[in-house]
Amino acid sequence: MLPAECSRRLVAELRDALDSCAERQRQLEQSLRVSRRLLRVWEPAETPAPEPTPGSEINKEAPSSACPPSPQDLKELELLTQALEKAVRVRKGLSKAGEGVKARSLKSGSASTATKASAPPSTSRCTGSRAPETKPPRGVHHPWVPAKDLPGRRLLLVGDGAHMGQGAGANKPEAGLRDQQIVPQAASQVPEAFTLKDKGALLRLPEAFRKAASRNASLWAQLSSMQTRDSVDAAAATAKTQFLQKMQTAAGLPSSMLSAAEVGRLQKACSMLRLRMREELTADPKDWTQEYRSLLTLEGLQALAGQCLHRLQELQELRSAVVEQPQGPWPEGPPRAALPCGGGADPVWSPQLLLYSSTQELQTLAALRLRVAMLDQQVHLEKVLMAELLPLLSEQEPLGRPWLALCRAAHCLLCEGGQRFLTVLQDEPADRLSPP
Amino acid sequence: MGRRRLRRPDPADAARALPEAIAALSRTLPAAPSPETFRRAKFDHPEAAPALWRLLFRVLSPLPADGASASLALEAQARWVKSALRSQGYPRRALVQLPDDGSQGGRELLLALAWLLARGPLPERLLTQSHVRLGDEIPVCEIHSYTRGCHSDRSLGHLSVTETELLRDPEGGRQLLRRLEMENAQLEAALEWRHRELIFWQWMDTVLDACSPEASPLTFLPRIPEPGPGAARLLARELQTLQEELREAAEARRAAWQAVVGGHGPEWRAARRALQTAVAQDLAALQRAWEQDEGRARPHGPRRLVRTEAKVPGGPGLWAAEATEALRAREACLEAVLRQLQGQCRQELARLAGARPGLIWVPPPAR
Repeated sequence: MLPAECSRRLVAELRDALDSCAERQRQLEQSLRVSRRLLRVWEPAETPAPEPTPGSEINKEAPSSACPPSPQDLKELELLTQALEKAVRVRKGLSKAGEGVKARSLKSGSASTATKASAPPSTSRCTGSRAPETKPPRGVHHPWVPAKDLPGRRLLLVGDGAHMGQGAGANKPEAGLRDQQIVPQAASQVPEAFTLKDKGALLRLPEAFRKAASRNASLWAQLSSMQTRDSVDAAAATAKTQFLQKMQTAAGLPSSMLSAAEVGRLQKACSMLRLRMREELTADPKDWTQEYRSLLTLEGLQALAGQCLHRLQELQELRSAVVEQPQGPWPEGPPRAALPCGGGADPVWSPQLLLYSSTQELQTLAALRLRVAMLDQQVHLEKVLMAELLPLLSEQEPLGRPWLALCRAAHCLLCEGGQRFLTVLQDEPADRLSPP
Repeated sequence: MGRRRLRRPDPADAARALPEAIAALSRTLPAAPSPETFRRAKFDHPEAAPALWRLLFRVLSPLPADGASASLALEAQARWVKSALRSQGYPRRALVQLPDDGSQGGRELLLALAWLLARGPLPERLLTQSHVRLGDEIPVCEIHSYTRGCHSDRSLGHLSVTETELLRDPEGGRQLLRRLEMENAQLEAALEWRHRELIFWQWMDTVLDACSPEASPLTFLPRIPEPGPGAARLLARELQTLQEELREAAEARRAAWQAVVGGHGPEWRAARRALQTAVAQDLAALQRAWEQDEGRARPHGPRRLVRTEAKVPGGPGLWAAEATEALRAREACLEAVLRQLQGQCRQELARLAGARPGLIWVPPPAR
């Protein structure tokens, strides 16, 4: 149906689109895998030698050899494990109930431990205070410290074993495992969120790692600030420009390296203009000043669009004006993946944060991100298909079945998002009545 | 690195400056050869060439070096480098004429590397590509909740999945630490390079002079780099459509405005000038936004997710709510664009069909 070149290009575009979807999916699955693994009981490390007691440094070399974990350490490990297991159960129940997790303030002094009615396995444990199961001492990583009375708000939930954390250093043996009474919650099953801190344990990153991470952040900050600071680099910048010019003139060529970057800029301009136009058209002017302002803006945007178009046409002329010699020694192009542009549009990485305060926020954000990415891809594919298919249709003359089939397919793809087909009836003169 | 120490120029310093600059460059670029190799390249020593081909390959590859690409034969790498440079508009023909087996051409390759370095912040860009990510970018929040209070950096407050994972898996943690330390070393070298690079450019001038002038340069012109075969055409069409829409909208409003303008009092003339200035500034800002390279915080660039209760305005990062707003606006815009494009296609196809008599189009039932 399509000429070979055209279909090759289209297939390549579609393959790219599919690849990027697959990549996104892979990343999400990977992230889920890692998170799930963290929420289960942590398997013991392979190495038999456990880390030294909490609070001491962890060296880069092999950790110093073992003292077997003390009963307290074991208790803490137990605590953490059960906390995490509970979290998994809660989460499972949550996802069935379809509720988001909300953190609420804990009313101080709330005495009971309220838990969601848990699955049977936990019920069997909840009989009075129990001795911690003695697990065989394993090579376990002990990265945590007992929670002291840390200042700051507790994170919270609707009544839970926060008491475990209250001043519970490792000294109180009975802080080992608090009763987990099941208090039937007549009200909505408010799920728990909790923190390790509340459970009397904290994880701490190894010292060497912390140092390296903070050095890393500081170095990036310095590098970023160097980018923006021009004074020191003025001489170097001049030297670079001169070098580039010298390279260019030594080769005797007109400067052409800017055109690709310019087209990119114009693309950005186009989408920003469109966005702004949309804002203006959907705004509702309340009084005449706003109306006038809106009018001026639209006219200004029109002028800018004209300028961009003009510039683009200039660039196109520039390209076609350069005579191309037969390819000769230049070999085939590099793979389709975009090459890093010499123009340097990527910003230097700098530590930026995205702050959120509830799961709901995060879910919304993630869903939107995905939707925008999908729409982006759809729009791009629409444009590509338009550029390929519409010219074909208008050029082809014969009104045979192939043309009609192409037309129908094009309509489906271009106008209905690939969802629905239209029907085409060919109303031939009497001697041949056959619907396509 | 701290403040630059200001020293009085010392002849010994000058002699050291170039080797130190080259050494910094060698330490910051991935897979870079030794400083000695760089200097040998100026004199076209044969052993310099293979190392520089490999370096250029590594630098130009869009993806971080993995086993597959690194194991490409030198000849394949050399050919790939030639075509990659050509796509970027590299001006010198002599590079193309170097033998594919990668055995010669140290000086030309050195020039090519310098050309890439001059065009943009190459070391920084490479480091950004390979940066060790410590935070979470994909939404996960359980770990964030549980580990509140565990992070020594108060502005973060909790651990990320990566950090928690490193606690669970000590071996993985050690590897992460190693990568982080390697990156730190490269970052330090990049900073040093930035401080010292001027002398490198002075030296590169001498390298260029050492080359014989290109023979008959005008008979050969490489193809101008294109972002994509139809991209400019597409863009032209888009801009035309946009301009058309704007023209229609503006004309309609202008007509409506003219109809009522007489009714406004004299005070509006003064206000009008103020409005014109305001709009002009607005549009100038818009224009700057696309003309300059974006150094601004990109709302959807890689950012570390941090869960926090504190609603501190003007805090250290971007709030999810703001990012959501921005995304909603973008979503609406894209939907509008898509609808508009589809409408355009419908019209065009209807036109084509209409030109051919005897066709009856039965559109699908509207949902």
